[in-house]
Amino acid sequence: MSDKIPLSRLINPKKIAVIGASNSKGKVGEIIFQRLLESRRRLYPVNPNEVVISGIKVFQSIEALPEDIDLAVITISAKASVGAVESCAKKNIPFAIIVAGGFGEIGEQGKLLEEKLKVISKEQGIRLLGPNSLGIFLPDENIDTIFVEHGDRALDPGGQVVCIVQSGSVGVEALGYASNTGFGMRAFIGLGNKCDLDEIEFLRYFGNEEKTNCLAFYLESIEKGREFLETAKKIAAAKPVVVLKAGRTETAISAVSSHTGKLAGSDNVISGAFKQYGIQRVYDDEEFCDASKVLSMLPAAPGNRVAILTAAGGYGVIATDYVEKHDKRASLKMAELSSDTKQQILDSTFPFSACNNPVDITASADDRMFQESLQTLIKDKGVDIIICIAFFAPPGITENLIDIISDIIENSVKPIIVFTKYGPFTNNCLRNFFFAKVPGFPAIGRAVRAARFLVERAEIEKKLSQE
Amino acid sequence: MKKNIESWIESLEIKDMPNEFEAKKLANLYGITTPENVILTPQENLDLSKMTQPFVLKVCSPDILHKTDQEGVVLNVSINDAENQLTAMRQRFPGENILIEHQSDFKAPEFILGVIKDPALGHAVMVGAGGIFTEIYKDVAFRLAPCSKKEAISMINELALAEVFHGFRGMNFDEDRFAEIISQVSILAHDMGEQLSQLDINPIVFSEDKWVALDVKIILETK
Repeated sequence: MSDKIPLSRLINPKKIAVIGASNSKGKVGEIIFQRLLESRRRLYPVNPNEVVISGIKVFQSIEALPEDIDLAVITISAKASVGAVESCAKKNIPFAIIVAGGFGEIGEQGKLLEEKLKVISKEQGIRLLGPNSLGIFLPDENIDTIFVEHGDRALDPGGQVVCIVQSGSVGVEALGYASNTGFGMRAFIGLGNKCDLDEIEFLRYFGNEEKTNCLAFYLESIEKGREFLETAKKIAAAKPVVVLKAGRTETAISAVSSHTGKLAGSDNVISGAFKQYGIQRVYDDEEFCDASKVLSMLPAAPGNRVAILTAAGGYGVIATDYVEKHDKRASLKMAELSSDTKQQILDSTFPFSACNNPVDITASADDRMFQESLQTLIKDKGVDIIICIAFFAPPGITENLIDIISDIIENSVKPIIVFTKYGPFTNNCLRNFFFAKVPGFPAIGRAVRAARFLVERAEIEKKLSQE
Repeated sequence: MKKNIESWIESLEIKDMPNEFEAKKLANLYGITTPENVILTPQENLDLSKMTQPFVLKVCSPDILHKTDQEGVVLNVSINDAENQLTAMRQRFPGENILIEHQSDFKAPEFILGVIKDPALGHAVMVGAGGIFTEIYKDVAFRLAPCSKKEAISMINELALAEVFHGFRGMNFDEDRFAEIISQVSILAHDMGEQLSQLDINPIVFSEDKWVALDVKIILETK
């Protein structure tokens, strides 16, 4: 029965009750209520010890609430949360987010409380997110129930990445990264202890939603492993699915006597399974954000031949080393440029430019030269991906380069990735690139790795389309 | 569970503990070639008239999983030496069955195929660099069972050893057939279901244009 309530009432609620809303500065119930004030939804604070919060009438009990609440955000202690969930269920509130920790993650006593939540949800049909959930955050819907500090000023509306995370801190760091360097977030979901709603339901919901074009998961456990994989495979045929799976579970075989068992660990099995089902595996928060950012912003690569365009020679050489390095994710190679391409670049730059890939147009280059060289590289049939090393130190290169690359990227089927560094202004520069719809990275290794994600994605698209 | 597997389980000499001879029989049911062989109980006389030398003698007991470490394998036995070697082996392992096989001629490298049961994801099939150094090289790839032949080809190509299928030093091991075997092993695991705990085929070698499983171990869940 409960499965039939559409998740949209959680994701885009019209009427939100905040259990434990408060006037006391710094309390979780105060922070969340203030955040939700900006949502322009109808809010129903519940607290027997308050009368008015920010000009809104406070309800003395859950029982006193009106009938058609979509979502209850429960900000009170673990123990009190259980009773609150029960009252919300009686009130036919379809969804509740339980913010408090102190459940299954702290031991036996907490497990008992969590068990109670499961029973209430199962028997009465209320759907629960958490406990120990960081909450939900949807920039487009103005919904934010995350009580910890997270920068969000740089998060543009219209973002298309959904981050679904099991851990609070990893999630918050991902938000921080997103905020600092530019990242298009469609939704952020803190799964917490997953006593009811789990990754599969959000995978299905956002996988089939038009506003989402990439799904990224941080998971410590995958209880329904095969079901998750099967669902992910269906979604991955159309949209990239990225998973950071942490915590190697122990092999259940108590006494592993076979060679195979000794070689397995569960990590190798997971890597193999992810490949089989079209999931792109990442190993830390940085890779998690880099992968979802580039996969959301750029199409899969048409091939694996990389051209590098730089005005800083040294980085061009380092980039070449990175491209040619063996990597299990996807192999890249340096594109061989046609003689026409080389001639055109020489014509539009200097006779002393280095035109064998990497293309080094030297520190004497200016914006126009960069632009024409980039346009020439895109036209070369032997080039699939272009990495631009965009440095603003050369006197002829200005911030107009951001718009130049942006214009070219808009009309290019070939992915263009930027590596930029600008001393203390690097993050600001990355944000400006992001606002111009150009994916930028502050390290050359990360820019090359981003290219690998796009090649890996192309292989997945090919594989899944043939199945 | 499939009929053929059910009757195979029923036929086991010791309940739920297949020996190598029995494990190879099951592999044969899934189209995997094993060397021609004969099994001798402690009382049986040796008759090798129908087999081709050289031979390999192996102690055949579900209790002895790593035979090589315990001198439970003797290689390169000629027809004239067979009787003596058999007597010596029986002295080392009194009361055990002895498996006598034709010793296949093959070129390195050896491969390993295996199955394990992952607690969260169920059966997974593995292919890798085989032989006794397999745990040192750790050149392996996994997929969940069942896995298609096409998927098996992508597994093979994940290995550092993949080159031997594509002309390395003139080697052109049969990739297509090998992928079929990997897929068959994964289907075996799938068919067998919960009862299969672990399976090792190590080594499996490319011998005279055929893939031959030289050793097969199957560990069942004991109820």
